[in-house]
Amino acid sequence: MIEITGLYGDLGEFHLRDINLTVNEGEYLAILGPTGAGKTVLVEYIVGLYKPDRGTIRVDGEDITPLYTEERNIGYVPQDYALFPNLTVARNISYGLEARRMRQEQINDLVDDMIARLKIDYIRHRMPLHLSGGEKQRVALGRALATDPRVLLLDEPLSALDENLRTEMAKELRRLQRAVKGTFIHVCHNFEEASDVADRIAIMNEGTIVQVGTLKEIMEAPKNEFVARFVKSQNMFDGVSDGSSIRIGQTSLVKENPFKGDVIVAIRPENIMIVETEHKGQNVFAGLVEGKQLKPYFSEISINTGIPLVVISQKEHPYDTGDNIKIKIPPENVVVLQKL
Amino acid sequence: MSGKRKGRKTFHTIFYGFAGFLFLYSAYLFLSNVDQLFVTEAAIETREITSVWDQDREIMNQFAGGFWKDPYFWKSLNLTVVTTLITTLIASLVGIPTAYALSRHRIPRMALVEVLFSSLIVMPGSVIGICLIVMFNYGPLWKLQNAMGFRFAHSLFPGMVIASLVLSFALGLSAWKAAFDNVNPRFEQVARSLGSSRWRAFRTVTLPLAKSGIIAGIILAWTRAMAEFSAVLFFCGTFRELPPSRFSSFTKLIHMDQADWVSVAVWAQVEFGNIEYGFALAFVLVVIGGLSVYVMHRIGAKGYVW
Repeated sequence: MIEITGLYGDLGEFHLRDINLTVNEGEYLAILGPTGAGKTVLVEYIVGLYKPDRGTIRVDGEDITPLYTEERNIGYVPQDYALFPNLTVARNISYGLEARRMRQEQINDLVDDMIARLKIDYIRHRMPLHLSGGEKQRVALGRALATDPRVLLLDEPLSALDENLRTEMAKELRRLQRAVKGTFIHVCHNFEEASDVADRIAIMNEGTIVQVGTLKEIMEAPKNEFVARFVKSQNMFDGVSDGSSIRIGQTSLVKENPFKGDVIVAIRPENIMIVETEHKGQNVFAGLVEGKQLKPYFSEISINTGIPLVVISQKEHPYDTGDNIKIKIPPENVVVLQKL
Repeated sequence: MSGKRKGRKTFHTIFYGFAGFLFLYSAYLFLSNVDQLFVTEAAIETREITSVWDQDREIMNQFAGGFWKDPYFWKSLNLTVVTTLITTLIASLVGIPTAYALSRHRIPRMALVEVLFSSLIVMPGSVIGICLIVMFNYGPLWKLQNAMGFRFAHSLFPGMVIASLVLSFALGLSAWKAAFDNVNPRFEQVARSLGSSRWRAFRTVTLPLAKSGIIAGIILAWTRAMAEFSAVLFFCGTFRELPPSRFSSFTKLIHMDQADWVSVAVWAQVEFGNIEYGFALAFVLVVIGGLSVYVMHRIGAKGYVW
């Protein structure tokens, strides 16, 4: 288990502010955020490349903040993998074991184990220069896992791979994490990638952690406008709340909420229902289909009900541009956020 | 593609043609009886004036000044090689760790340090020499030398080592720093995350990756030290005309008495009219320099020198 409390750091270009994060034993956590949010810097603080200005990092209850990188036993796979170019694949994997002054037979057994687990026996005598992106990644994982680290940090491990390989490697990472029962922290800037691998997701922005939760929690209850936008709540509007309903332009949306005055309303495009034209009731609006687009796994239509809405469904919509339809926005699917 | 290749072929032809011409021409100058080309009445008169070198006069009119028969030549070569080896050793022992520190740590006002060392490289040796004289012959360092009872300036050791060290160190440092800059610090960081100490990470990862650059730096420092002329001349002067009583018995034992730094000897010989001897000494320096650069190319450290 890793616990970070009140971590502050200043690296000139990057500042970390009041980072509080707990990752449980055997948990796969993704740190997600836009470029420049400070994700990589946070990882570098955990590895021990820099000393924080304030705050502590504890692993299994032990305060590792004052320890040097080499004393922490934290696995680290940087974005460019940084395989040692002067050593073969097998020597790269045994590097950490040799530092621990183990007996040679024991090192050989552990390396063979790791090579078999990652299915890279065919490249064991090759130099890193002659490996493909996927192979490099496996070797980097093997090298980091060989020493049985307390936590494994992966800094954008899939970003150097092509699209098809990325999904495959994401599954493999997940499988590997379950097999070794390890605690993994995986940094990425892609929401799909994070949802593919992680048990929980920590959203980071401007040097601090904004929200931590499961995919479902974050999608259903984003904490602020930034998170809502980041997890692709495409329908976001400024409105005025009176506590029981919100006025957006000419439209009034029923939703109990604790705010009075200016608010932001976020509605996920998959949470808007298309209903029969005779349908009546709360939050039912008539609208005009303004556009339609077929995407790989879903279809998306734009509807104007006085407010411009995007609605997506897994099946192809039977409507065309210019059709008049009715939609329903169930109040439980409306997220109201205080405007800052 | 073929146009590019043709252009390169033309370039190679011209380049090697020119280089070949230069080599053959210098070989011709050296091998043909250069004596006849340069020995004029005036030169002979100059030689007459320098009658202090009685024993030299016979060999002076021989091929290339008969330098190989002259103990002064072998003593000078001995002195230069030994001194430049000491200089290179000191430059490497101090410079390699310094270059590593400069490359890895953020140092405030780093630009200032870099400007200082880079401007040293473009300084003429005479400027370095005069700065060394002012530094050692005045002020606290002068008092220190008086207290200790010996002189830095105009001494074989440490005078020559100090004079040749300045530029040798500056040039070596820039090569070593470039070598370490070329090694991604990420390698060391990962090595340390795997439990390696700083020293093991340096020894097993950074050092092997920077190896050719480091060796290039050592050879550069050595050739630069050997090529030093004006700083040595300014700071130490010449020793040949000094009476034997000025040299310690140890200096005589290691055959460095009445000897000069080879490049200084080249100048001294030409100055005294013995051009062939000077040219022969220059040829020796060319051979040593050329061999050193060839070794650099063989170890794959091209690019550090042209």
